[in-house]
Parts: sequence; C-alpha cells; structure tokens
Amino acid sequence: MTQVLAISFSLNGKTIAVDVPAHMLLIDLIRDRLDLKGTKRSCDMEVCGACTVLLDGEPISSCTTLAVDVDRLDVTTIEGVTPPDGLSPIQQAFVLHGGLQCGFCTPGFIMAVTALLKTTPHPTDAEIRHYLDGNLCRCTGYTKIFEAVKSLAGRQDAA
Amino acid sequence: MSVTDSMSAVRPDLIEKVTGRAEYVTDLVIPGMLHGFVVRSPATHARISSIDASVARSVPGVVDVLIGADVVSFGCWGVVLKDRPIMAIDRVRYVGEPVAVVIAETIEIAEVAAELVDIAYDELPHATTIREAMMADAPLIHEHHENLEDFYFKGGARPTPSSNIFHTYRNDVGDVDAAEAVAAYVHEDHFTFPAISHFAMEPHAVIADFQGDSLTVWAGAQTPTAVQKVLSRLFGLALAKVRVIVPFVGGGFGGKASVKIEPLVAAASWKVRRPVRVAQSMAESMLTCRRLGADITIRTAVDANGRILAKSARLLLDGGAYSDTGSAVATKSANRIMGPYVVPNMRLEACAVYTNTIPGAAFRSIGGPQAVWAKESHMDNVAAAIGMDPTEFRMLNLASRGERIRPDLRALDMDMSELIGRVTRSFAPDAQPSNRKAHGLALAATDPANTPISNAIVRLKIDGSILVSVSSIEVGQGAHATMAQIAAQTLKQKVSAVTVLRSDTAVAPYDWGTGASRSTVVVGLSVESAALDAADQILDMVAEVWELPRDGLSLVEGGVSTGPDVLTFHQIFHRSLGVDSGEVVGRGAITPRSKKGSLAESPLFWETSAALAEIVVDEETGEIRVPRYASAADVGRVINRVAAEGQDEGAAVMGLGHALHEALEFEDGQPVNATPIDYSIPRITDVPPSFDTILVENGDGPGPGGAKGMGEGAILPVAPAIANALFAAYGIRITDLPMTPEKVWRALQKRN
Repeated sequence: MTQVLAISFSLNGKTIAVDVPAHMLLIDLIRDRLDLKGTKRSCDMEVCGACTVLLDGEPISSCTTLAVDVDRLDVTTIEGVTPPDGLSPIQQAFVLHGGLQCGFCTPGFIMAVTALLKTTPHPTDAEIRHYLDGNLCRCTGYTKIFEAVKSLAGRQDAA
Repeated sequence: MSVTDSMSAVRPDLIEKVTGRAEYVTDLVIPGMLHGFVVRSPATHARISSIDASVARSVPGVVDVLIGADVVSFGCWGVVLKDRPIMAIDRVRYVGEPVAVVIAETIEIAEVAAELVDIAYDELPHATTIREAMMADAPLIHEHHENLEDFYFKGGARPTPSSNIFHTYRNDVGDVDAAEAVAAYVHEDHFTFPAISHFAMEPHAVIADFQGDSLTVWAGAQTPTAVQKVLSRLFGLALAKVRVIVPFVGGGFGGKASVKIEPLVAAASWKVRRPVRVAQSMAESMLTCRRLGADITIRTAVDANGRILAKSARLLLDGGAYSDTGSAVATKSANRIMGPYVVPNMRLEACAVYTNTIPGAAFRSIGGPQAVWAKESHMDNVAAAIGMDPTEFRMLNLASRGERIRPDLRALDMDMSELIGRVTRSFAPDAQPSNRKAHGLALAATDPANTPISNAIVRLKIDGSILVSVSSIEVGQGAHATMAQIAAQTLKQKVSAVTVLRSDTAVAPYDWGTGASRSTVVVGLSVESAALDAADQILDMVAEVWELPRDGLSLVEGGVSTGPDVLTFHQIFHRSLGVDSGEVVGRGAITPRSKKGSLAESPLFWETSAALAEIVVDEETGEIRVPRYASAADVGRVINRVAAEGQDEGAAVMGLGHALHEALEFEDGQPVNATPIDYSIPRITDVPPSFDTILVENGDGPGPGGAKGMGEGAILPVAPAIANALFAAYGIRITDLPMTPEKVWRALQKRN
C-alpha cells in the first residue's frame, strides 16, 4: 500500500494543503494535480534544468524532488513570477533579446535567472555562465540568453 | 522602434513561452484520455518467441495492452521504403524498438504493469555497423524492399536486392580516371562521423483519439501532412477524416519530421477506442531516432597550379533498423560534398545501409555535417600536401556566382568570397594566429530539398483583423511570426492585426512540411500570394460598389485609399454586403509551376556558410576551447534579425556539440550513452565568448522581399573549421568526430 502523507506548503504565495503519495514527484504534483503546466518536464534526471522551480528561493529540479520534501516550504513556479499583466523584467529581456526559440527550456531558465539576480543583482559574465551551466537549451546556442541576462545585470529592478 | 523592441510586437509566441502559458502536447488534457507506456526491445536483433500480457492486463487500472499481433493486418508503413510495422510483430531489429504498449488510467499504472509483460526473445545474428552490414554474409535486416515512389520526396530509394543497402545514389560528371591520370597530385582521405542525438528539449509526445472512422492526433510533428497521409493509408481512413493538430513544438531539428511514433499511438487508441497519450521520456526519444553516422572516402586530383581537376567521394551512411528518410540523407550527403568549388570531373556515390541500431532520421541539413566534415578537412589536407595556404587553395578553386557546381543543379546564387571576406574581417584587428591560438576556415554550400508545394489562406475581416492558416509548425524558428509579417506587409496592415492559427490539418491547407529551410521561402510565397488575392478581392469590391477605377485604389492601414478618401474595411464590407459583417478569403498556392516554373529547379536557393574558428588547446589534457568564432551566411534578406541570428547561433553551437562532444555510441547494438546523463550537448560555458553572426543580404533570394531560407547552414563548417585550426597549429589531423580531449591528447602524444 502506498503511503499517503498530508503536506502543506506555499505555492506562488498561496497556501496549499494536499495529500500526496510518498513517492510522488514535485513536478507531477505541480503539473498534474495542481494544473500548473508552465513547469516543463524534459530529462527526468536533474541534468537539463527545464523543470526548475524555486524552493525557498533556491533553484531546484522538480523532476527529482519528492513532493513530501516541500512540506512547510515555499515553492515558486513560472506562474508565480509572471505578473498578472505583462512580463517581469527578466521575461521581457528574454523576449527582447530573442533568448528563446522553442520555449521548452525557457521557464526553467527564467526561474534560474530569477534566483541568480536575487542573490547576485550584478553578476559578472563568468557568474552568469557559471550559474546557468545547469540549464540546457538546444535551440538558441545560448548567446542571446547570455545577452538577455547581461542586459539585466546592471539594473536595480531586475529581480 | 529598435530592432529588439520590435521582438515583442512581431513574436507573440515568445510572450506565451516566456510566461509558461504556451501549450505543448504534454500540456493538453483530452477528456477520457488514457496513458500508454511503451515496452521496448532489449535485444539487438531477435525473433519474438512469445509475448504474454495477461498478467499486465489484469492489473487494476490497466485498460489493455497493445502487442504486435494486434497490428499485423495494418501492414507496414514508411515514407520512402515501406519497411516498418507499427510495432515489432515477430521480430525486433534494434534495442529500443516498441514491442508492447500498456494502456492504463494513469501513467504510473502503465509503467508498473509494463514490467509484467512477459516477452521471450530468440537472438538472431546482427549487423550493427556499416562494415558488418555490408559484409557478404551479413544477416539481412530486411529481406525485401518495397519502394514508395514519389510518396514524400520526389523519386524513391534504389535498394540493392538481398543486401542491407537500401539506397544507392550515383552521379558522375566528366572522366575522373582521365583527370587523375594527368594530375600533378592526387590525395585521398578517410573520415568517419558518428550517430548523433537530436536532443530536442521536448521529447516525442503524441495523443491519438480514434472515434469511428475518424482519427485526431495531437503531435509535435514537423510534417503534419505526412503524418496525416501515413495514418490515412495505414488505417484505411479518408485523408479528410484524419486530423493532425500541432501545438507549440519543443524543438525538432528533423527528429520530429516525416513520421515517428504517431502510428503506434494511433494503434493504441484504435485498440481501446479512447484517447491515448504517449509522452516519451528524453531517454526514450534518444532510442527513437538519431542522425545517420557516416564513413566517407574522398579523393581530389589537382594540377601543378593547385586547380582541382577531379573529385571522387564514396559515402556510406548508417541508416539504422528502418529507412525513414535515410535514402534522402545519403543522396544529399553526395550533393553536399562538392561545393562551393569548380570541379570539372566528379564521381559521387552514396549508400544508405540498414544496421541493427536506432533508426536514422532527418537532422538539421540532412547529410550535410557528415559531408562537410570530410570535404573541408580534406581541402586543408590537399592544400598542405601541395604546399599551398588553405584559404588561397579555396579561393583559387571557388565557384563564382552564376556558376554551376554540377550540371544538374541550379547555378550558385551567391558569392562565397564575400562570406570568406566577412569572417576574415570579423577576426581583425588581431587576426594573426599565434603560438597559443590557431585559426581554421571551412565553407559549405548545400542544396536544401525545399519542395515548392504549399498552400495558404489569408482572411481579411470587416474589422481589419487578419487570419492566416498555414501548415507550418511553430518550433521556435518563428515561422508563424514570419508569416504574420509577410501577410501584414503585403496587405499594408499592422502586424498586430494578424493572427496565425495553430497548425491543424482540419483548418490549414496542404503544405509539404516544416524543414529543409523552406518555410520562409515556399510557405512565405504562398502567404504573400494569398494576401495579394485577398487584396485583389477587396479592391475589386470597392471598384465595383463605389464605381471607381481599380488602378486608383490602394490598400492603406485600416482600409482602402481611393485617392482623396480612405474607406475603412468596415465601410467597404457594410455597403457591399448590406449587412455589418463579412470577410474576404484569399488563397495562395505555390507549385513547381509557379513563377513560370522558376521554383522547380533544384535547389530553390543555395544554403551557404563560411566559418572561422579560433581554438586554444590544453596540451596537458587535449581539451579544445573555442574562444572566438565567426559565422557568415548569405540569407538573401532578413525578415526578423534577432530570430535569424538566433537560428545561426543555435545551429553553430549545435555544430560545436557535433565537433567536440556528441556521439551516440553502441556496443554490439546496445546503446551505451542514450540517456541525458551520459550524452552531453553544449552548455552555456562551452559557447565561444566572442561569437560573430554575420548575415549577408543582397535581396536576391526567391522568397518574399528577396529572402532565402536559412537555419541549417551554420551547423556545417564548425567541426572542420576547428579540425583545420588544430591541423594548422599542431599538424595533427583528427578524422573521426567528436574531437574529444582523449583523441586530441593521443594525437599530440603520437606526434611527439
């Protein structure tokens, strides 16, 4: 018999109380049970970053995180960083610089950059590259992603 | 408005994607949808001696299990050769081949029950490499070859009976033997190129819904009309009863072209008569298709002045267990190993060979990276052998604009020396290589198979809004935004007035598909023509109803100018139709006979690129770094600069992966590294910090505004440019990709 546990956590600022099987992955909870489809599933192995969400502000792979492990913590997804109208400065920079093509890796990148700029509002070129090394993109060749992030590196209101 | 500011206006898809709202197949929920999990062959080549799915079927939540016996009556499918059953029936031909699909209420149940499907295999002798497959006593992977002439591409395959060779292409020009007999120097090289994974971030996912005599499929498919045709033939359904809907696609690169898992998922839905979704993992997608590996022998004869007298090439392509479009890959590899040089005598031969490995498939510039890797590495070897500077050797032999590099192909429509000049100038002022930094050049001129067959519908509505229906899919390249721009420019309306409908064969008219750098040109021309048709209709309406001379009327934003006045679209429709409603429906069609037949000659345009790479080698480890890279392409006319640059940057970095990191490896047919953990694609830290993307615009392409297609050229010169830099600096020549640190280090040791 699968063990079911009651958890309560903050999702994009809203308290969520759910019963989840002990083996349930965070990505499945977010996408299938809570119907937030912005978080993308790609590698299933914590190597591509497409499923990145923030756990207490830190980027994690939701494809290899158990749902029970976010109990009493704070989870932020792409839906949580998207303003009700329009785009966040990070999202805007990605659009203006063409830092995305197919878009499948993009929510993960936006979350990673959100975390980066929160802790390091003025990252150096090397810091940007180092921080984003865990997010894979097969379309853009990264140049325009780098330019998008660099355009934010000097701004006060970026994150 | 600056170039970048216009991005949000002209790429509405980017807004959807950056907010996570864009819908891909796995984001869709169809009412009553079941989930399929695919049981795959662990055997390289084996007879299936028994399948027992009874235990799996009895698991609560499992609805049914589809096995080969269920699909025998449907026969085989293919797009060039009809060689592929919907799933393995009595025999598996590669590790990863679908053998059963467990269909259940949830994916978890399906996955658990899949463990309980009991399958026994009797191993058969296998052939897992080109060499093994071509041996006289090699086991036949397919006993018979059934050609589907003109099914997907014009023409078909030329298989060799009772062999694993499923296609041979030959093209001879002049007399190579005679030319070699009088040559001052003849040089031959041998190169290999590995299988490579597409690694689109979105794995293959399909939902199929069989209802009575109709079938609806949601798929991340690059060629929806090919999927529709194959499903129609397989299941005996009218084309009009097969609907293929393509939401946003998370990367394709050819790996979602032609037809992939759609027949399998459709059969699962046919079995249970409910919608079924199969969402593959990335690892499963790596077992689904891959680029064809190659084994290439190339020989060039030159005269005493360094002029090329003859070239011969033999290319053997590893097509895997099912042919897919491997025959076309082979043919194109032969076409792509020639130019952009003047070669009076040529002997080209390319064969595609079945092996017991993952099926080969189209991949960004089919056959191109394989051919250009060999051709451009070889050029530097020949130059070195005759003591000539490699750039000078290329310039001496370059074909000029208007010259034909082979009599049966369109004359070159660009000036390669201009591209060489642009990349060379990009490296100035410190253009000189040093002890630490080496430079390498490589060129490519390829013939995209852009198939000039397309239709478009452009509807202009009473409120001035415009709907565009095309079959082109939006896979990140910006095709939908490009079509919107072309419609808006042709109708003189704001681009924000245009909506491009999601690709759906029930709505969009026939088009060949998205690939081969064709959409901007071929689909773009059909959209332009449909918009002109809509414009004609609205202008005719004004001329007739207002009784004005037609030639005094012109479209302006929001309506039609009569000279002194502007009539809004609203006024025009209201007065003409008597009611406050209406639209005109413009239709555009491109066929090989369009534009007085000028689109029929192959290729429609030449896709060209030149690249200069600067490398630094860590002699202790053999690691190659590329601090600087310049890539130039002649694109005719840029429609969206940011998107166009992004295409070439993405292609070049993909080429960097091919050059330095990527190879899908097999041991006796067992994939060694077909998982995202074991297989590495380039990361942001691998990208050259100095990266110059040069787009040459002469407005001389066949597309709207003089555009040519693009997006595939920049992948081609990367590996040979890096290899040539390595050769220039260290005198070592790597002949098999990727150029891993180990290979480079060993070559350095051997040299010392």
